[in-house]
Amino acid sequence: MSELTHAELGGFIADRVEVGVFAVDAAFNITLWNRFMATHSRRPAAEVIGRNLFECFPDLPQPWLERKVRHVQALRNYAFTSWTQRPYLFRFDHNRPITGGVDAMRQNCTFLPVKNEAGEVVQVCVTVQDVTDNAIAHEELAASMAEIEREKAEQRKLIGELAQAQNQLLQSEKLASIGQLAAGVAHEINNPIGFVNSNLGTLASYVDELMVVLDAYTGAHDQLPEALRTAIDAQIKGVDLDYLREDLVSLVTESRDGLDRVKKIVQDLKDFSRMGESEAAWADLHHCLDTTLNVVANEIKYKADVVKHYGALPEVECVASQLNQVFMNLVVNAAQAIAEHGTITITTGTEGEGVFVAVRDTGAGIPPEVKKRIFDPFYTTKPVGTGTGLGLSVSYSIVERHGGRIAVDSQVGEGTEFRIWLPIRYPAAHPA
Amino acid sequence: MTATLFSEDQRDALQELTNIGMGQAGASVAAVLGEFVQLSVPRILVLKPTLIPAALERIVGPEPVTAVRQGFHGDLRGEAVVVYGAAHCRELADLMGYDDALDEATERELLLDVSNVLVGACLGGLAEQIDAEMGFSAPSLMATGAEVGSLLDVERMDSPCALFVEVNFSLEKRSFACHLVMLLPEDQILVLRDAIDRFLASL
Repeated sequence: MSELTHAELGGFIADRVEVGVFAVDAAFNITLWNRFMATHSRRPAAEVIGRNLFECFPDLPQPWLERKVRHVQALRNYAFTSWTQRPYLFRFDHNRPITGGVDAMRQNCTFLPVKNEAGEVVQVCVTVQDVTDNAIAHEELAASMAEIEREKAEQRKLIGELAQAQNQLLQSEKLASIGQLAAGVAHEINNPIGFVNSNLGTLASYVDELMVVLDAYTGAHDQLPEALRTAIDAQIKGVDLDYLREDLVSLVTESRDGLDRVKKIVQDLKDFSRMGESEAAWADLHHCLDTTLNVVANEIKYKADVVKHYGALPEVECVASQLNQVFMNLVVNAAQAIAEHGTITITTGTEGEGVFVAVRDTGAGIPPEVKKRIFDPFYTTKPVGTGTGLGLSVSYSIVERHGGRIAVDSQVGEGTEFRIWLPIRYPAAHPA
Repeated sequence: MTATLFSEDQRDALQELTNIGMGQAGASVAAVLGEFVQLSVPRILVLKPTLIPAALERIVGPEPVTAVRQGFHGDLRGEAVVVYGAAHCRELADLMGYDDALDEATERELLLDVSNVLVGACLGGLAEQIDAEMGFSAPSLMATGAEVGSLLDVERMDSPCALFVEVNFSLEKRSFACHLVMLLPEDQILVLRDAIDRFLASL
């Protein structure tokens, strides 16, 4: 065995190296085709050498490749392709017939000018490097990075929702303590109202008795001596006794009416703010609605006229204080939806085995994209701090707990109707 | 600092050599692109690495840029950075004969291709002047739509100074322009200086 010459060694390495090596002349005829190229293309060197590259491999991107090779010839300089932009030059099977992962071998290619002694580029040699493993690793890494980014975005969203949830909690906490305060104040007001009421009752009967006595005196008026009668007449005229008698009765009546109203408001406040209550009991929904309307009267009286279309309703087993919250949300929302002045129509009735309550407004309406989300927790179109802070999602869950459902029908520019259906009985977990 | 590494003569010679190299580069790039290429006279600075981002910013201005990096090795070892303004990337497709709207991969390939052409031509031209052998590694995308100042991580440069050679390309008939910066570490500056000395001696 003789030693290899330098050229033989070079030729051997070029042929056997685990990198694709081939060369073309100026007419794109193949002049070199190493073992790697032969193996992967399944075209032995003898079959392709001397033939046109594009005839042998019609799938190659001819205009692009021609331009690339021309650049190398013209500039007498290297050119490159990277799998990241051009996955492969030749569509070869990759080295992962079993584990797979990509459709074809990923390749990085280098185009190098082959110069003659005069420095002219006579051929262009191309090396094709198999970078499939790197490419897969790179892509897996990129996928993990994307996943991490996605999770991060989700976390950011969750943090935002938490912050909002806390805000809502604060709001409802605030509402609850206001409710408690109201209940306490209501209780305190009840005592003085009690004795004022009873005093007023007594006063009314005293007035009646006084009137009887006065009538008796009036009957004897003519029999009084002249001088005395003239003096009394002057006094009667001075106080306008006829008017006074009339007005005294109506003053007492009006005061009793007023007191009755105060009592009613206090009772409504107490009814409404029974927040802790969670036992279902039989209740008259019309009473619940009226109570709620009284409580929120101030908030809606300048915005809307309330029209009631109450049907005949049986008593419903429910947690009245919770339903009051739902009615309040719906009525306050309805008022807020009305820009200037409109009408809120409340309709009730029976339907199948249950009852329904509908609250319709003549407000702005809800655009479809908002409508999809109105029952989502944390979704609001109102600035933070506005509204009740309880929101439609709480209403939704209350109605759901009652075994009922809530639906919305809205036309932008015409108004919105929220309709609640409730079964007569509270769901099974609660024995009657 | 320039004075400490290059004498006046050496500096003039480098300027001239680069200029001749670029002239040849311009001619071959023009042949490839089919358009007449205008090249600025190369500006040569020896800078501390920390000053390089500011120098880059001075060249390209504050707009976001896309940049390609390509290493070269052999008798001279260093890196070339080609910086494109965002608007100019679009011009490339037209220039290189792509008719259709480009997808991202094709656009990036084009960017790498053009950068390779420019770097190869310019550095090849210079290498030929000083009789140096030079090879190139594949170009890679540094950043797209990034701020110029953030392109280079100067903290990681361990060379105390770098040769900063700036050439600006533009095409006569189009608005396309880009900037090529050649960066040589200190030890390579000395190699370049010796090569210049040899060139001067051969005159």
